[in-house]
Amino acid sequence: MIRKSNRERRPDRLSTYFYQERHVLAGITLTGILYNAGLTAGPYFEGQLTLCLMAVLAGEKSGIDMIKLAAVYLTVILIVQGARCLKRFGVRRFANDTARSMRRVLYRNLVYQNPAVLSADEAGSLMTKAISDVDACAEGMRKFTTEVFDTGVVMIAYLGMLMAYDLRLTLLACVFAPLAALLAQKLKHPITRSASAYKNSVSQLNTMTLDRVSNALTYRVFGCENQRDQALGDQLAVVEKNAVVSSAWENAMQPLYNIIAMAGVVFVLLRGAQNVLGVGWAAWDLAAFTTYLACFSRLALKSSHAAKLFNAVQKAKVSWQRIQPQLQPVEIPDSTLPPTAGPAELKLEDLSFAYPHQPPLFEHVSFQVHTGQIIGITGPLACGKSTLGRLLLGELPYAGSLRINGLEIAQLNSAQISHLVGYLGHAPQLLSDTIEENIQLGEDLDCAPWLKLTALEEEVAAMPEGLKTQIGAQGTRLSGGQQARLALARTLARPRPVWVLDDPFSAVDPATEDEILRNLRELGKDRIILLISHRLTHFAQFDQVLWLENGTARIADPATMMAENPAYARLVKTQQKKAGDDDEK
Amino acid sequence: MPGLLKPNKRKQAMTMKNNNTSLALKNSVLTVIAQQRLFLTGLGIVILAGTLAALLPPLVLEQIVNQLTLRQAVGVGPALAYFLFLALAGILESLQTVMIARTGQKITRQVRQDLCAKLDTLPAAYFTREDAGKTVSLFVNDVDALSSLFDNGVLNMAADSLKVIGVLVMIFTRSLGLGFLLIVITPLLFALTRHFQKRMLQAQKTNRAAIAQVNHLVPETLNCLRMIRSLNKQERMEDRYDQHLQTSYQSLEKANFYDSVYSPIIVFSSSAVVAVMMILATLSGGWRSLFGMSVGSAVAVTAYVSKIFTPLENIGMEIENIQSAVAGIQRIEAFFRQPQRNLPEATLTLSALPTGEPALALNHVTFGYEKEETVLHDCSFCVRQGETVTLAGRTGAGKSTIFKLILGLYSPQQGSVTIFGAPADQISDRQKRRLFGYVEQTLRPASGTVGDQISLFDETITADQIAHAVRLVGLDSVIAQLPQGMATPWDPALFSQGQLQLLAIARAVAADPRILLLDEITANLDSGTESLVMEALRRASANRTVISISHRLYQQNRNGRLISI
Repeated sequence: MIRKSNRERRPDRLSTYFYQERHVLAGITLTGILYNAGLTAGPYFEGQLTLCLMAVLAGEKSGIDMIKLAAVYLTVILIVQGARCLKRFGVRRFANDTARSMRRVLYRNLVYQNPAVLSADEAGSLMTKAISDVDACAEGMRKFTTEVFDTGVVMIAYLGMLMAYDLRLTLLACVFAPLAALLAQKLKHPITRSASAYKNSVSQLNTMTLDRVSNALTYRVFGCENQRDQALGDQLAVVEKNAVVSSAWENAMQPLYNIIAMAGVVFVLLRGAQNVLGVGWAAWDLAAFTTYLACFSRLALKSSHAAKLFNAVQKAKVSWQRIQPQLQPVEIPDSTLPPTAGPAELKLEDLSFAYPHQPPLFEHVSFQVHTGQIIGITGPLACGKSTLGRLLLGELPYAGSLRINGLEIAQLNSAQISHLVGYLGHAPQLLSDTIEENIQLGEDLDCAPWLKLTALEEEVAAMPEGLKTQIGAQGTRLSGGQQARLALARTLARPRPVWVLDDPFSAVDPATEDEILRNLRELGKDRIILLISHRLTHFAQFDQVLWLENGTARIADPATMMAENPAYARLVKTQQKKAGDDDEK
Repeated sequence: MPGLLKPNKRKQAMTMKNNNTSLALKNSVLTVIAQQRLFLTGLGIVILAGTLAALLPPLVLEQIVNQLTLRQAVGVGPALAYFLFLALAGILESLQTVMIARTGQKITRQVRQDLCAKLDTLPAAYFTREDAGKTVSLFVNDVDALSSLFDNGVLNMAADSLKVIGVLVMIFTRSLGLGFLLIVITPLLFALTRHFQKRMLQAQKTNRAAIAQVNHLVPETLNCLRMIRSLNKQERMEDRYDQHLQTSYQSLEKANFYDSVYSPIIVFSSSAVVAVMMILATLSGGWRSLFGMSVGSAVAVTAYVSKIFTPLENIGMEIENIQSAVAGIQRIEAFFRQPQRNLPEATLTLSALPTGEPALALNHVTFGYEKEETVLHDCSFCVRQGETVTLAGRTGAGKSTIFKLILGLYSPQQGSVTIFGAPADQISDRQKRRLFGYVEQTLRPASGTVGDQISLFDETITADQIAHAVRLVGLDSVIAQLPQGMATPWDPALFSQGQLQLLAIARAVAADPRILLLDEITANLDSGTESLVMEALRRASANRTVISISHRLYQQNRNGRLISI
């Protein structure tokens, strides 16, 4: 539901989030105005209570009058505080909703990224950072909304009330408030400077501490531990000094603003008293006096906090600017494939590929593979065999033609390709979840046959929780071989015309590898399997071998390859010899 | 083959004596208190004065209102006094905050310094056993928690309690009955405060855990991106993310609820007290003596009542701070209690080493990281001065372990390891650099400049020595081309893999050591860079005893002797 609403609007605009929350914001506005305007009710009724007490003491009113007044007072306070309660909750709900929406958009941006692009430009770490910035941004938006009411609206309400009591006195007494705000603005600079100096020295200290601890033995072997301790001690002194200076700026200034803003209270007391005695600018009773004094004190306090409103806006703006570039609208690829007929077929024509700013990895590669074939792809280190596999995923742009069932990979989107190509890289890429979930991934699949195919069935059955076993982050609770086989089961459970398996057996023991390969043969009868590996033990059994070296490709059946390609033959023989040596041990 | 300094999960089973009792948390704190006695006394005075000053303005107000009730004019004196007392209270309050912050910082600094000193005394096994991140967190987070125990905890709690008491006393002097009423109500409100705070913190904790889960899904997604894309599972992943997000959302809603409700309840309670006070004040007869007050007093008490709730709320948070600091304190204390290594006495000097002795001799050495599990069993061999030897043997045979024994990081369980006739574990750290130049599989970069990588901040190593070492390994032109030369801030991207190893060799030879220890130093290099490193090594090895672990090195150093482990 929320997924859809985000899809249509522009998640990279701040207004989108305010618009999404328009109902909550309307509630905040309503209760916020009610509460902040009602704030003046407290001092007003407290003044009336004082007045009533005076009247009772003078015998002019009875205790019943006081009870009635007190009841009204409490009722009003209850309503005002109720509104406040709703407003506070509304503002927090707004922040919570916004953080959730932003996280969803960010995650969507992440999950639809092309892995090749992501690893290239470190977009991953940017994304990780952005996600941790979401809270700061939502918090900034919350503070901003809060301060609009608690500083903005409330100051207007108080000022209005004061002016209603005595316009001239209010103008006189409030002369000092802007002065305080001005000073606050002026002194913002040294305050932020000392605060950032403190933060920097702390982060430097933390870097040094990490360095000291993680390199402890290096420093010990080189006899430098004491010298590092001294350097750390010096930094500690700097941190202490900066902390005290920063705390002094921050804490010393706030009461100063208060004092300046409160200076007007001398006029309030003097002129106010004259008002009560009937010789001032306005005619007041005692209630007016106490109400005015209480309101004035609160206004002075608020005005010295006015800088907070600006700071909140500033902070929210900064964090928003950090995450905004990551909040892009995402186009969900449509997975419908153009209809194709006939058995699976893979065709490469004049295929060339180069990473940006690098010489070509391979050029003019052409070959064709038919249904039921298993192709072993190998070559020396960094010959581009893994890249060739990834070209089939449509992650990288290539020159020439690469077609599956007649469909050009470059013209398909990732969702369409996912129907054509099943892929397993050397990293098993498992989720921190159960074995079952790692195979099913939300689909209605029976796990048993696939576990059997990958020789995992018994091992899983032996686990106390079986299929429901949690495998830990990146599958670390399983052995390397189990991880690889689970990932293979996940791939095999989804039949595709072409399977690309990049070095899936590196952590699997030879006997198990034999068993799985037999199963694969059976399973691969109506599809194409590309098996990329540097271990050539089973290559002799494959239909074709593709040898990649120095940017060119040779394809032949294993026997021919063995006879005509000395580099391949040498590699096979070295591995056989090594295997023999291992057996002797 | 594990490198010498690589974390190693095995436990050091050797018994360590805890003979240094001066390093303890209690002592660190007591040191600060003793040093800052005068300052702390001053702080006490400021707190007291601030509390009193804050109590005065309502009293002046009472005076003014009473005068007005009697329709007397109000002079400049009381008006100014009201303002001045307000100003004084404000100034003292912020002075108090700064002073308390300074006290916390003093304690933090002392404890961190003592923790550092403790690091020096820890056995090598500690660093291989414990995750560095955990130890750093102890230095950073736990010490911060400790300091907040003092500043945001104990000290502020004292100040806030004083405020509550002050206000209660003042109310008692105005109205005995109201005083008693507040004595009953205050604990109730405090209990309510604690209840809300506990609920809120619990919800916040749940939320933090959920947010950690949510954020944890990001690196997982990054790791699995190719799988997600190739299986078209983006929506499924979004649903998974949403599940965790929802948990966090709900727990935050809960925390927000408590947060929203608490403050309005307190304000309403305070209003209720005022209302009850006003009604009681109108009572006549016997009640008068208990609740009766002048109009001025009523105004003053109204002001006082509103002052009692803020410190009450603060005290609740301060209790929370103290409680949350406890876990950190326990960790710090446990760290201080860690067994110490046997610190070598600095009596052994390089010049006093006998000249005729072999550079290295292992004599019937038996050693294991755990008592039952020996890695080396009755191992003996000898390396003459100036000799080049290669230690060979299968993985796990104990080649790197021998290096650890040579460097004195561990002591043999039986037998002896001697360097120029002196027991290896008796050589003090300060002398090691003149004896050993140690190169690992990869350079362990220190945070600092390029030059710091070579000197390792050792002030006794001169700029000339650094320049000489750099020339020796042939990195002089590379470093000269860096934007700030030697002073360029360290960045691993500045150097290739092979150049990093050259830097490691320069670091090892900078202090002109007698013995070079090389642990699989070309393991991570391709053959092109390897020859570069070998060439630098050949120059660095001149006139030195060289002990290395590497098969490839042996093949190219046919003149050296091979020792099988």
